[in-house]
Amino acid sequence: MNAIAAAPPAQPFFLGSGAAARFCLYHAPATACRGAWLYLHPFAEEMNKSRRMAALQARALARRGYAVLQMDLYGCGDSAGDFGDARWDIWHQDAARGMAWLEQQSSCVAGLWGLRLGALLALDVAQAHAPSALLLWQPVTNGSQFLTQFLRLKVASQMLADGKDGKDGKDGKDSNSGGGGTAALKQSLAAGQPLEIAGYLLDPALALAIEARTAEGFAPPACPVHWFEMAAESGRPLSPVAARAAAALAAGGAIMSTRVVAGPQFWATQEIEECPALLDATLQSLSEPCHAA
Amino acid sequence: MQPDEQALTFPCADEWLTAILSPAAAPARRGVLIVVGGPQYRAGSHRQFALLARALAAQGIPAMRFDYRGMGDSSGPARNFEGVDADLRAAIDRFMAAVPGLQEVVIWGLCDAASAALFYARHDRRVSGLVLLNPWARTPDGLARATLKHYYVERLLQPALWKKIASGQFEFGKALRSFSGLLRASRRGPAEAPVAAPAAQAAAAVPAMPASPDLHARMLAGWQGFAGPILLIISGADLTAQEFLDMVKASRQWRKLLAAPRVQRHTLHAADHTFSRREWRDQVAAWTAAWVAETGARA
Repeated sequence: MNAIAAAPPAQPFFLGSGAAARFCLYHAPATACRGAWLYLHPFAEEMNKSRRMAALQARALARRGYAVLQMDLYGCGDSAGDFGDARWDIWHQDAARGMAWLEQQSSCVAGLWGLRLGALLALDVAQAHAPSALLLWQPVTNGSQFLTQFLRLKVASQMLADGKDGKDGKDGKDSNSGGGGTAALKQSLAAGQPLEIAGYLLDPALALAIEARTAEGFAPPACPVHWFEMAAESGRPLSPVAARAAAALAAGGAIMSTRVVAGPQFWATQEIEECPALLDATLQSLSEPCHAA
Repeated sequence: MQPDEQALTFPCADEWLTAILSPAAAPARRGVLIVVGGPQYRAGSHRQFALLARALAAQGIPAMRFDYRGMGDSSGPARNFEGVDADLRAAIDRFMAAVPGLQEVVIWGLCDAASAALFYARHDRRVSGLVLLNPWARTPDGLARATLKHYYVERLLQPALWKKIASGQFEFGKALRSFSGLLRASRRGPAEAPVAAPAAQAAAAVPAMPASPDLHARMLAGWQGFAGPILLIISGADLTAQEFLDMVKASRQWRKLLAAPRVQRHTLHAADHTFSRREWRDQVAAWTAAWVAETGARA
């Protein structure tokens, strides 16, 4: 039992009750608090697949003296509500609520740590609630492209159900405008029709809010931004879309630090994957001063 | 008015597990422990387990779900379904402590969690029933046989495939390579097992972890050693379920076990492995709640 005595568990709790209940997991800092992070999870199944990596990083941060709060957004994970009732504005408010709780608990100014769509949400929330820093893991830079990719899951399942295995678009990787499949689904959404996709009910209002957002579209945050991307091999540069978005934010005055880490796309893999290199690189990045990119 | 859910943490060996309890409004002597299968944490694929727990609680059945060691929010190194007995025991201890008056627990498991439940149930007298969905009985040659039988043969009967062939869009080379690999694996040799599952299975939350060679024997011993009622729920459009049924068909012992009166069986013909549509999910919840109430009243 020594290990347990040495490492107290993260505290799970519900912030609020009834429809306001949000599942939270608080990792108290092991030493005097040197900073605080609110974790904003990615979208739909990506949240499940990355749960392990989020837990590993949160525990590693807590050991280094950071207070970390993992919060499930409305309609997600263990929080109240149905996914089909989730809206971008509600998630925005959830994040602000999480920051306020975390700051009160830790007496540290909160930073926002987001993965994938959670990183895009973090950039949005940073417009209104000045975080101490942003930690962005593989941010979704273009909401419209992200939505198209999600819609492809439905196109694929429809094709399987119909006994076809055609492709979405002629070359199988349709552009932003989409092949016949996703374009038709976007039209349904635009007409106000919710879609059930891979077990998730997607409301048009949420879809349109995601579609309208890009990383470059936000005012550059007035705080250090730690931007991480995963690549198949080490030594790779930032992907062109991420490089463009990061450059745009830097040109607007954001203090950017960008890094590429070799490892799996753990939010999308079939099995649960761990990437120790990302955990280490994140800790290292946070202890270094940021410089203009 | 439903009571609020509770977040719990409890020890297992030297690690801490995280759980969510969905209490019922009135006292209950029977609860459902939802065990997570595949590469998923306690909410389940598309939140299936979170929604199931809420549905059961709303019908007077307290439910708890948790992450075993190394999964989701629980600490420790990653492990697979063959090593979770201690986790199940710790979870049942915590469930009983959290719900006064709780006397017995039904374990509900999908995929490899169904197999884990079978391994465990006979060792704990508090377990009074099992709900098993698409139990995981995968062996490499069994997978190949099931794929041939249920995927390729079905496809050959589909008009769309023949239209594709007629219009020259069908990739013969690719299909043949995949098909001949499966044939080899189905005839013998775990080493030649197909690397990729067919597309129908690709999105499903099934584990790729190697099971021990005696998986079928362990499942059989678990089923024989457990005396309580069992609810078996099968998805029609799921290779994992087909492999389980193929195993049953091939064995007189298994056929006899499944034919026993203590086994109730439902099939959702259109459903995929994780019941990824609301109508399928709701049907599973309804069958589970009705069965838990009915078998609990009989006990």
